[in-house]
Amino acid sequence: MSSNTPKAASFSLHTPNQARAPSKSLKDERSAYPSPRTTGKPAAGSSGLASSTVPRLAGPPSPRMKKGKPAQYDRFIPNRSDKDLASSQFNIARADSEQPLDGATIAYHEEVARACGVSINKRILSFKEEAPTSDRDDLRQVYSRPALKPSASTAAKRRILNTPERVLDAPGLVDDYYLNLLDWSLGNMLAIGLDQNVYLWNASSGDVNSLCQLEGDSYISSVKWTTDGAYLAIGTSDGDVQIWDAESQRRIRTMAGHQARVGVMSWEQHMLSSGCRDGSIWNHDVRVANHKTAELVAHSGEVCGLTWRSDGALLASGGNDNLVNIWDARSVVPKFTKTQHTAAVKALAWSPWQLNLLASGGGSHDRHVHFWNTTTTARLDSIDTGSQVTSIQWSSEYRELVTSHGIPHNHLALWSYPSLAKIVDIPAHDTRVLHTAISPDGQTVATAASDESLKFWRIFEARTKSGKPAKNGPLAAASAAAVGAGSLRSMSSSAASGTGSGFGASSTSDISRPAYIR
Amino acid sequence: MSVQTQLTKGKIDLKGSAQIVTEFFLYSLNSILFQRGLYPVEDFDRKKKYGIDVWVSNDATVKNYLGKIMESVEEWIAAGKINKLVLAIKSRETRETLERWQFDVQLVGEEGEEKVRPPKSEKTLQMEIQAIFRQIAASVSFLPIVEEKCTFNILAYTCTDAEVPTTWTDSDPLHIKNPEQVRLRSFSTDVHRVEAMVAYRRDPDLC
Repeated sequence: MSSNTPKAASFSLHTPNQARAPSKSLKDERSAYPSPRTTGKPAAGSSGLASSTVPRLAGPPSPRMKKGKPAQYDRFIPNRSDKDLASSQFNIARADSEQPLDGATIAYHEEVARACGVSINKRILSFKEEAPTSDRDDLRQVYSRPALKPSASTAAKRRILNTPERVLDAPGLVDDYYLNLLDWSLGNMLAIGLDQNVYLWNASSGDVNSLCQLEGDSYISSVKWTTDGAYLAIGTSDGDVQIWDAESQRRIRTMAGHQARVGVMSWEQHMLSSGCRDGSIWNHDVRVANHKTAELVAHSGEVCGLTWRSDGALLASGGNDNLVNIWDARSVVPKFTKTQHTAAVKALAWSPWQLNLLASGGGSHDRHVHFWNTTTTARLDSIDTGSQVTSIQWSSEYRELVTSHGIPHNHLALWSYPSLAKIVDIPAHDTRVLHTAISPDGQTVATAASDESLKFWRIFEARTKSGKPAKNGPLAAASAAAVGAGSLRSMSSSAASGTGSGFGASSTSDISRPAYIR
Repeated sequence: MSVQTQLTKGKIDLKGSAQIVTEFFLYSLNSILFQRGLYPVEDFDRKKKYGIDVWVSNDATVKNYLGKIMESVEEWIAAGKINKLVLAIKSRETRETLERWQFDVQLVGEEGEEKVRPPKSEKTLQMEIQAIFRQIAASVSFLPIVEEKCTFNILAYTCTDAEVPTTWTDSDPLHIKNPEQVRLRSFSTDVHRVEAMVAYRRDPDLC
């Protein structure tokens, strides 16, 4: 294959014999180095590469071949004395009939000619139709495609299954919107009030035991763990508030006084606020004999939502009178009241990452979730959820909130904050989802409904440092153990079937299939 | 000897020569399409021609497309109206010409020289054409790798009085800015002489 040898100047290595034939050599392409094997014979100038001889990079012709010629030849330096300068000069200077190789020059000439109107006797035509395209990937490209970046795909994958991680029986759950019968403690214990009993379910081990049973025709109307999970407050339909020790499972004290049932409670360290059906909120100091420290009256309907802010400065309360009241801890008069909702406000939740952000959800007539800045009292945002809002849970890991709903869809809705885009709808229960509680690690949400089931949903799967979702959850060891366990009621008498299999193994198997246990 | 004599006496006459040249163009275009990866490898079949294996497209649309082009080209060659045939490979996105294969066609024996050239043997002709195909295949070694998806355009430089069917339209030459050029081998039937050349984009890194 010939290389790009410029036409004009080609230094051919001539032996003295070839000095007379430069003209032919310039015209044709040929190797600049004649084959040394042609002894004495001039290298085939005219046939050039077209002949069958393969062009060979020749060394200097061996002096042996040229008898009597002691001259040494250097490949790159022409032997000027032997060269026929006259002929070569002529050839260099001769006007080439060939067109210049330089594309720019060609283009220039063409443009000039066209501009001058001189017909260069040429028309440049292009075939109008476009060349057919090949849709298939060129194999070359297929094989040389760079490896897909692994980071994006695995990190972003977040599984929110439509099926619960686990289901437990919860027979006897009172179908009353205004009660708050579910709570999950920091010690990973789930307390649920089923009619006259309170059951404690240990999420780590799967053990269940009955904490207490009420007499008469009173029933449990609310349960609430202290923030450290050591004590459980139980509100009854008689208006009593009982404090139980979780460790020893004994009742520590009973605080009576309320005129009607205690539907909701909220702890603030040693202070317990209880909301009553008559619309009053009492603050109790549980350490003192005379426990009632304050009475906050601002609701005309049953208080169904009550929650202290994490720093204990503000208390939010919602009632059947459609009001949301924000109380300062030091006063008995509400700081401000919001009347936006058109139905009972049971769902109240403070944002874990933004201290002054409060979300409140309205009942079946209202169906809205409003977001409030409690410092400025402004309403930041609203969502029309389309269904009765029964509770709200925030997730700090994901900056999202999950709302549980009743009529008509009985579902869980996951929203992103602050974009308020709905991420997913999870059909949860057959009847309205009455209560929810979030696990202490923030990954699982437990929901209880009047269809007598308690379901656990892994919504906020924890992300490990590398971005991959963590395998183990709060229910890990318990999952295998509870396979045999049926209803909570029957579990109360069963021995601790804590034969949990390996920590990691059980959780993965659980995730892959919904554990329907009845 | 006049051209007339050559036509009657020579082994290859004008029409035959035009056919040979057209065929050469068709196969060389196919080869270039194959070598430069404009169509996937599966779209090509090997065929014995000129004593070597040449790659020809088996895709109906491509064959049809090239066939239509070659019809016009053959007419022009027979009429002696075409000077050059150019295959310009362009990037599909930027529409910039990346490579330009140029085949110059000249009528031989125009000068009325009295040279009596022995009629070209078919074997020699075949060898010359073979060499060009080998060069096209070998050009892969110096032509820059083209990563992007490409398409191509066929240009024909014709005389102004040539008959132009409606399938062709005027165009600009699609030159490459500041190209590297390599002149490839040529061949000639006794009537036509075809020279080949490829121009490609200079690699900016190497400059």
